Amino acid sequence: MDRNFEYMFYGFTAAWLVVMIYVIMIALRERRLRAELDRVKRMVEDQERETKK
Amino acid sequence: MRTKIITALVVASGALLAWNLHTILYNVPDEASQGGIFRLIYFHLPAALTSFAGFFVAMFSALAYLAKRDLRFDAAAAAINEVAFTFAFITLVTGSIWGRIIWGVWWAWDPRLTSYFICLLMYSGYFMMRRAVDEPHRRATLSAVLSILASVDIVIVWKSIEWFRTQHPGPVLEIRGGGGMAPGMEAPIFWNVLAFLLLEIALILIRMRQQTIQSEIESLRRYAHAF
Amino acid sequence: MNFLRGALAVAAKDLRSEIRSKESVNASLSFALVILVLFSFAFDPTSDTVREIAGGLLWLVFAFAGTLILNRSFARELVNDCLDALLASPVSGAQLYFGKVVANFVILLAVELLSMPVFGIFYNVHWTQYIGQLLLVMVLATWGLTVIGTLFSAMTVNLRLRELMLPTLVYPMMIPALMGAIQLSSKLVAGEAPGADDQIWFRLLVAFDVIFTSLALALVETVLVG
Repeated sequence: MDRNFEYMFYGFTAAWLVVMIYVIMIALRERRLRAELDRVKRMVEDQERETKK
Repeated sequence: MRTKIITALVVASGALLAWNLHTILYNVPDEASQGGIFRLIYFHLPAALTSFAGFFVAMFSALAYLAKRDLRFDAAAAAINEVAFTFAFITLVTGSIWGRIIWGVWWAWDPRLTSYFICLLMYSGYFMMRRAVDEPHRRATLSAVLSILASVDIVIVWKSIEWFRTQHPGPVLEIRGGGGMAPGMEAPIFWNVLAFLLLEIALILIRMRQQTIQSEIESLRRYAHAF
Repeated sequence: MNFLRGALAVAAKDLRSEIRSKESVNASLSFALVILVLFSFAFDPTSDTVREIAGGLLWLVFAFAGTLILNRSFARELVNDCLDALLASPVSGAQLYFGKVVANFVILLAVELLSMPVFGIFYNVHWTQYIGQLLLVMVLATWGLTVIGTLFSAMTVNLRLRELMLPTLVYPMMIPALMGAIQLSSKLVAGEAPGADDQIWFRLLVAFDVIFTSLALALVETVLVG
């Protein structure tokens, strides 16, 4: 019975780990996307300024 | 506004899960033959139901894209499938650990496991294919067609493997939780299903917002290259 | 009838091109024979248990060899923009698709029929005992494989990594047809007549063929034209 509890905790931990890893992946992607969005926005602004000159 | 909804969903889901965890660990009695391990069902079953709900809704979103050609339906379908896939993965992992204790093996080729795994294989193909197509409408069309084919095939695969396995019974029998559960033990399942669904919706909303950002980036790039 | 006429025109084109060049048949047949040899290392061909599963092994061979044919199916039209020309022609997307299914079916069935004698010799099985039923199984299952495979060939034709994506996507979809074929072939090749429990596999094959042919015909225009 003790062994069963041990594996139960492994199971719970596994489930939580998967969720955590997925959430971290999403958060990292969010950060990357925001950085890229800023970069592309700046690139567009620079180009607009260039053509206005 | 959107962020508030997402935060509210996550907090509600977290609170439910925490409260439920307390119930699961302390108030629910041990099951007769399995001891403590059966409590995994409180994660295994809700995760499975959440993933099914996800795949099912995603198929309708895919159909909606084919009907209306609105890319938001495709974004929704992709986000839903991704989150559902994660919950399906959780289902298999928790099921496998449970199986290790109860059946003595990490895996068994019984109908449910096999067809569920094939479902996962089909959806990983779905994600691989999305990666391989750049043009948004083409990607949406192909994804929609693949979703429809996968959903139809999953039903057929399930049925056929069931017939296959009844002719060659494996070393393992299904654990039927249906009739044998005391009333006190069933409630946490439903609460956890609700909690998982809330979490799923929150994650889907976050992913969809990321996809909007992604398409904004792509269109800005196209605009920039037009100079 | 116009539908069939257009479709058969496409099928005739593909078959004629195949008969003249014999690319797909050669590649596919050699691949099938190589896999049969490889299997002989993994499973002892002389043992009785292997003889029981030999029919099943056969369908794995056909599925792998079939992928080569299916990959070529739409890929051969990419050169010189032939695919665009075909899509712009009076032949509808569904007719184009159906014609290719028929052509692939004929080619794959030919490869299967050519491999059977070799299989019989290598694995010492008397596969001609129930040849009528075996041929029926082969026809039904091959149709299922080619319907699914040609649809996916159309879907993946413009993708990067086409050769990787087609098998990855297609094999899970083919599982019901393969299962039915494996169950029936194992029995027929081992010399047993299929019993009453095995009728379900015939029904599965027919149902699979009907469902996926109609589904594919409904979806293929969307896939090809967008």
